[in-house]
Amino acid sequence: MKKTITLLMLIAVMIVSACSGSGNGGKTNNNKESAAPTNNTAATNAPQPTEDVLAGDKPQLRQLQPFDRFDPNSYITAKFLEEKTGYKTTYEMLPEELPNEKLNLLMANQEKYDIMRLSKEQFFTLAEAGALEPLNDLIDKYGANLKAGIKETTWAAASVDEKIYAIPQGGTGIYAGTTLVVRQDWMEELSLEVPTNKDELYEVLKTIKAKKNVIPLTGQLSVMPEIAAMFGITSNSWIEMDGKLVHQAEHPRMKEYLAFMNKLYSEGLIDSEWPINTGSVAIERFTSGQAAMMSLAWWSAPAVVNALNRNFPDANYLVIPGLKDEQGNSPIGVNTGISYFMAIPKWSTNKEHAMNYMNVKLEEELFKELVIGQEGVHHKVEDGKYFPILPKFDEELNNASFFLTGVDESVYSTYWQARVRKDPILFNYFEELQRLAEGRFVIDPMSNAPPIASVSENSQKLSKFSNDTYLQFIAGTASLDTFDSYLAQWKADGGEAMTKDANEWFSTTK
Amino acid sequence: MRHKTSFLDKLFVASNYIFFILMGVITIFPFLNLIAKSMSSEAAVISGQVNLLPVDLQFGTYSYVISDKLFQSAFMNSVIVTLVGTLLSLMMTSLAAYPLSKPRLRGRKIFVLMFVFTMLFSGGLIPTYLLIRELGLINELPVLFLPGMISVFNMLVIKSYFETIPDALEESAKIDGASNFRTFLQVVLPLSLPVLATIALFYAVGFWNDFFSAMIYINSPDLKPLQLYLKELLASANNVFLNMEMIDIDRAMNVSPQAIQAASIIVATIPILLVYPFLQKYFVKGVMLGSVKG
Repeated sequence: MKKTITLLMLIAVMIVSACSGSGNGGKTNNNKESAAPTNNTAATNAPQPTEDVLAGDKPQLRQLQPFDRFDPNSYITAKFLEEKTGYKTTYEMLPEELPNEKLNLLMANQEKYDIMRLSKEQFFTLAEAGALEPLNDLIDKYGANLKAGIKETTWAAASVDEKIYAIPQGGTGIYAGTTLVVRQDWMEELSLEVPTNKDELYEVLKTIKAKKNVIPLTGQLSVMPEIAAMFGITSNSWIEMDGKLVHQAEHPRMKEYLAFMNKLYSEGLIDSEWPINTGSVAIERFTSGQAAMMSLAWWSAPAVVNALNRNFPDANYLVIPGLKDEQGNSPIGVNTGISYFMAIPKWSTNKEHAMNYMNVKLEEELFKELVIGQEGVHHKVEDGKYFPILPKFDEELNNASFFLTGVDESVYSTYWQARVRKDPILFNYFEELQRLAEGRFVIDPMSNAPPIASVSENSQKLSKFSNDTYLQFIAGTASLDTFDSYLAQWKADGGEAMTKDANEWFSTTK
Repeated sequence: MRHKTSFLDKLFVASNYIFFILMGVITIFPFLNLIAKSMSSEAAVISGQVNLLPVDLQFGTYSYVISDKLFQSAFMNSVIVTLVGTLLSLMMTSLAAYPLSKPRLRGRKIFVLMFVFTMLFSGGLIPTYLLIRELGLINELPVLFLPGMISVFNMLVIKSYFETIPDALEESAKIDGASNFRTFLQVVLPLSLPVLATIALFYAVGFWNDFFSAMIYINSPDLKPLQLYLKELLASANNVFLNMEMIDIDRAMNVSPQAIQAASIIVATIPILLVYPFLQKYFVKGVMLGSVKG
């Protein structure tokens, strides 16, 4: 632990010193390119004719990627891209553990990457530190497809002070991820009705506990979205209330939710190991018949349903539609934020080519083939929907999303759904989930917020603090009477500053 | 000579046996559980049906793991690093230890002190990283064995073993006309096999299990050693779900089934386990020798 902290501090010092020269330059002269700190030519964006910069041999590009479990350099998509675009790209990955620290180390050493696929947090940090190239001019010159395919609101998320620092890769669309499922055979045996609000849920859990002597509800999250929805709370970090941003921790009904969970816990209606459970323990409890109800994510559905059927051939699961609050609402929190940011570091020597490459990848035909392959080989179209052809799709396109550098938002979500149609259980569950979720989405108002220093600094730390404390409240190891002092602590530790800055930004969006 | 064993003695021996058998079972239990899991169906594994015996026996997981390209390259990297690294380390360490074991070497104490100094103080991670980078070793396989080639502790162990070899032996070799190097190769080293085997094992296990230097210095997926591969396989299965708000659903759909995780661990652990029996006879002797003087 001590080692890690020292490491972090050292890295912080390194990156500040490495980037300070360029960072200051960038802030003072807004429209001029600041000199890059390395020995590369500073005049990359000088008004040269396009042909000159892109003419000649196409350079080999170096792309830094987040961790994944396959070798991208030998993957079929890499060869496909090289063939179609003429750019040979070598891919390097951040490690699974401490990726941010490794990234900072690489940046402090000004490793000559041309494209870096960054997470939100990484992007914010590097943009603040001044390590990233402002892309406005490059996009104007070489990024016509990117400009057309990416929405204005998405661009905003990658901009600071009117300058774009990355190509934002929009999400796959808005989907519900989980819902509660319950053992249908037991519900029928006990002739129970599907619960719709918290009183009915309480009765159902109580009956299951009394009659079947199993864990009525298993799970592990401190804020369980399905139950929190009955108090108007979603999994979103931020909500808009009376025109102001309020953090989930300060939700007026948070205490009420915790009290309800604590009541369930103390009466043995939820898993007694809730605070220490993991997702796989919950799945184990449910599929082995030790628990009657759990929150099932669609991506886990095939494994869970197969395991349940193996152990109990007559068992089936029943989907519980959203539990409602007193007004009949059942919100589902979604984040429309950007999953990945494609940035070009200041010291890249192939900035124009990098931009050109990302642009070419968004050409209509190429993009389609990149995402779902060729029609008749990898996918087929039925009723306007794309279906994968197995096993070819799995063999050659399973990791294709890894290679995206920005998406055409008008079509990507339609293409992407082919991935869900790989397995009938997955597909059916997914479709049912989305049908039930219609009209219930609440979008996190901070989804597309630009980097705000106090928010990126504090969010993670505070959310860990909140989660740990909530679990104590649920398990009763801390009394809910101390909720106010917890909240005071949360505010003092950065919550208040973060809320203030977030609201400052929010008032400018109106 | 045999003592007559009293009842208490017998009780002591019996409880010793029971205690150690229990300890053995406790140690081996997780391993057996893992083997069972790796040969069971995923449905049985995730619902917690597998204890010590496989349920729905299958071996598909093993062929999947072995046919994974990344696993193959990781395995080869680990084998190369362990073999080359151990050989080089053993060579350099004993070459450093030999002169330092000779009292007639001038400034011996200072040299030893210089070695020991590096045991206690190091440049720190960032300066080391910069050094490695300047040496052009970043993202090269040798970075996994070159920087850690000599462990000072192991060097001291070998040195103190060399000191126990009687001077008379070496003198007789000298009289027969052997050079320093020949004495070292043909007299000292053959006599030191126990300690060399022990140190070789230390090095081999160290190289095999090392993931940290690979994590810091290696960026290319195909240069990663097995332990890093394994660590990332297991950690990624959990970490994908850590942040529910911004979950990468493409990765969530690709998480490795638990049976495959188990099979990977087994395949990665077995090779180094196989080394132990072959080196064990030296191992016991080696640890004992050098501890008793005179």
